[in-house]
Amino acid sequence: MTDPALSDPALPDPALPDPSTATPAGGSVIHDLGYRPYTGPRLAPPAIARSLVVTGLRNAFGLGRSGRSKVLPFVLLAFNLMPALIIGGVMVFVGLDRLPIGYAQYASTTQVLLGIFVASQAPVLFSRDLRHGTIALYLARPLPAAAYAVSRWASLLGATLVFLLSPILLLYAVSLLGELDVTDQTRDAGIAIGLAVLLAMSLAGVAGVIASWSTRRGFAVVATIAVLLIGNGIVTAIQGISQEVGKPLVGEVAELFSPYSLYRGLMSMWTGFDAPTPPTGVVMQTAYVVVFVALAGGCLATLVHRYRTVASA
Amino acid sequence: MNATIARLSTQALIGRRRGLVLVLIPAVLLVLAVVVRLLTDDPAGYDAVTELAFTLALPLVALLAATAVLGPEVDDGSIVYLLSKPISRHRIAVSKFVVAWAATLLLGVLPLFVAGVVLDGSDLRRALAWGVGAAVAGTAYTALFLGLAAFTRHAVVVGLLFALLWEGVLSSVLDGIRWVSIGAWGREVAARISPSITGEDLGMGYAVVAAVLVTVGAVWFAGDRLRSFTLRGDE
Amino acid sequence: MSTLTIDRASRWYGNVVAVNGISMTVRPGVTGLLGPNGAGKTTLIALMSGFLAPSAGTVTLDGQPIWRHTDAYRLIGLVPERELSFGYLTGRQFVLANAELHGLADAGAAAERALEIVEMTEPAGRRIGTYSKGMRQRVKLASALVHDPAVLLLDEPFNGVDPRQRLHLMTLLRRMGAQGRTVLFSSHILEEVEQVARQIEVVVSGRHAASGDFGQIRRLMTDRPVQYVVTADDDRALAAALIAEPSVVAVSLRRGGGVDVSVADFGSFTVRLPQVARQHGIRVLELMPTDESLESVFSYLVGGQA
Repeated sequence: MTDPALSDPALPDPALPDPSTATPAGGSVIHDLGYRPYTGPRLAPPAIARSLVVTGLRNAFGLGRSGRSKVLPFVLLAFNLMPALIIGGVMVFVGLDRLPIGYAQYASTTQVLLGIFVASQAPVLFSRDLRHGTIALYLARPLPAAAYAVSRWASLLGATLVFLLSPILLLYAVSLLGELDVTDQTRDAGIAIGLAVLLAMSLAGVAGVIASWSTRRGFAVVATIAVLLIGNGIVTAIQGISQEVGKPLVGEVAELFSPYSLYRGLMSMWTGFDAPTPPTGVVMQTAYVVVFVALAGGCLATLVHRYRTVASA
Repeated sequence: MNATIARLSTQALIGRRRGLVLVLIPAVLLVLAVVVRLLTDDPAGYDAVTELAFTLALPLVALLAATAVLGPEVDDGSIVYLLSKPISRHRIAVSKFVVAWAATLLLGVLPLFVAGVVLDGSDLRRALAWGVGAAVAGTAYTALFLGLAAFTRHAVVVGLLFALLWEGVLSSVLDGIRWVSIGAWGREVAARISPSITGEDLGMGYAVVAAVLVTVGAVWFAGDRLRSFTLRGDE
Repeated sequence: MSTLTIDRASRWYGNVVAVNGISMTVRPGVTGLLGPNGAGKTTLIALMSGFLAPSAGTVTLDGQPIWRHTDAYRLIGLVPERELSFGYLTGRQFVLANAELHGLADAGAAAERALEIVEMTEPAGRRIGTYSKGMRQRVKLASALVHDPAVLLLDEPFNGVDPRQRLHLMTLLRRMGAQGRTVLFSSHILEEVEQVARQIEVVVSGRHAASGDFGQIRRLMTDRPVQYVVTADDDRALAAALIAEPSVVAVSLRRGGGVDVSVADFGSFTVRLPQVARQHGIRVLELMPTDESLESVFSYLVGGQA
């Protein structure tokens, strides 16, 4: 019943070879399984910045975060695309020979949704880290604070562009399928894309500055909306008045003061849709473009300054 | 209504940054009113400024005020110090509502009235009408946003979607929305007081009753939600 | 003198049971609620302080249920675990506000008394945002004492507090208990509870694992044998071999297979069992502890993890 070989493990079993003769002397080793630092090749800061931009872009839509954070951006995106889908459906069924709404005009109509989207997603990218102190983890890495600020802005820019460009591309595809004139549509779509880029740059800048200034999320959202929409409202009011009074130049100058109105003004000149007091003359139009870009650049500089201050604090 | 809670809420409201934006909105509005007055006497100017104030500034001020008195405390759990006292939850909700309401009246309604006077000093009735309409709408807005703040962490965005999308964009497309739009109720009340304002064809009675119902219901709801607050560990 | 009675209280969230049929009586004096993180201590304190309703069972203060009974707060003082975030108020303003919220006749005097008890009168003029962690804990305690409550509930009061302040807090709690108040505090560190509490309630995974004086609990663990069920390919031979072991108290053969073993010395038994099995050529198929409560108390109190 019992095997004598099993009764005492200290006695060597004569049937099996002696295991200690198999390994040559000096061949035994104990491996160090403790903490070992990484000594391999490391990527340069541009690669770090690139991955930060991509992560930020995904976070803005809730990808890579909890399920609940996906609801809001995707709901807003769906609301934004719905009219485009409806227009597409109508075109397919009724067979219109031109788009009922211009590419660039679309963003002007959905500006409230756009504003809410930018206002609610900017805190995700800017306020979260500042509020909970995790910004220290980012800034203690080889990436300079300036590059971090620009990367975050680029993520928000990317998210806003997704929001703005998806209906344009959808309408473009529908118009091509509906066999509308290719050159016309491409030209219109191209202008719209250019305008969208300008708008996205300044909106991302404004929202980013406000979100990094106020770290409480709810407050940042309301403040951004207040700045964007009240600013737009004031400009529209002044435009309306200046048109009634017969001093359109006042309106043109006032239009410089809000990203939405800059967009509308340029749109009306370049795509032929009506707007009150559009910028007339090359000088004015150049000024508009310059202000657009300068607004984005100024906000970006403010962001860089803010993060540099945080980094050295 | 509890004075200590009101005092604590006021202190939370006037905290540096929030207080700044809260005051900035009516300030900008008044500056705009002055500028427009200097530019023109055209009634289009009056309409533009009051439109901006009523549809945008008023809900934003109410939203800021309501989410300031309730949001942060619930978020970081310090409301437990208010709740672990022998005070009914509804009294706490009412006290907070009163503070937010006072802020809305002072920084949302009063500037609207003053802007009306600045823009057209001769038609005081019209300015008063706007003021009363804004008071009705502002009260309902504050209560609604307070209820939202007690209900969800995303109260701000939901409130914005309501005030801007539902009452703004959609109501210009769908007529029926005016029956369930706080802004429309306020406008109706204003229209009944001054003939220079176009109403929404709802009837003063309906507008006032609806606003009162929303106010009472939302504040009661906020109190009810406070009863469900739970202690959470450090998570 | 008030007594908190928890009678078969359970609390579940969907499929997750946070508190599982706990019964305990918290009497005047200091009681320590001991358990690892996630054992349900905070949930239990939330049940006792009226911030949660039990899904089953009752939680009563002197016979009255606490849930939805805001008057109970006249008798209860709560010190929650969360950080004090009224950074813009001074310590004195905060305690004063708490006194006013209780509707005390002379709120200022009550606040000063409370601040004196926690020895915070001098720093009370500074803003809470400038306080250290221990000072914040003391201000929280002062706000809970301001209405002279009969019951004091503290959730992890020693968390992150430096040793000197911790000693001070411990002395304070002992003094409160000696005055006849019902003090309950929770902790996951054995030594803290040992030094302060007279009565210990051990909670593990939502279950009430042990109750009583700490020394007596340890004695119970060694006095009371641990039960195991061992299944082997030859039960009877294993039983015969095991009864010869000095750590085994009793063996009996189960009807459906397996051996019930009563073990006095858990440590040496676990070493000897495989040796005994190999010596007799028996293959052990399964080894299961059947006395879960003692297993969990033991592994927590001795091994540190549940």
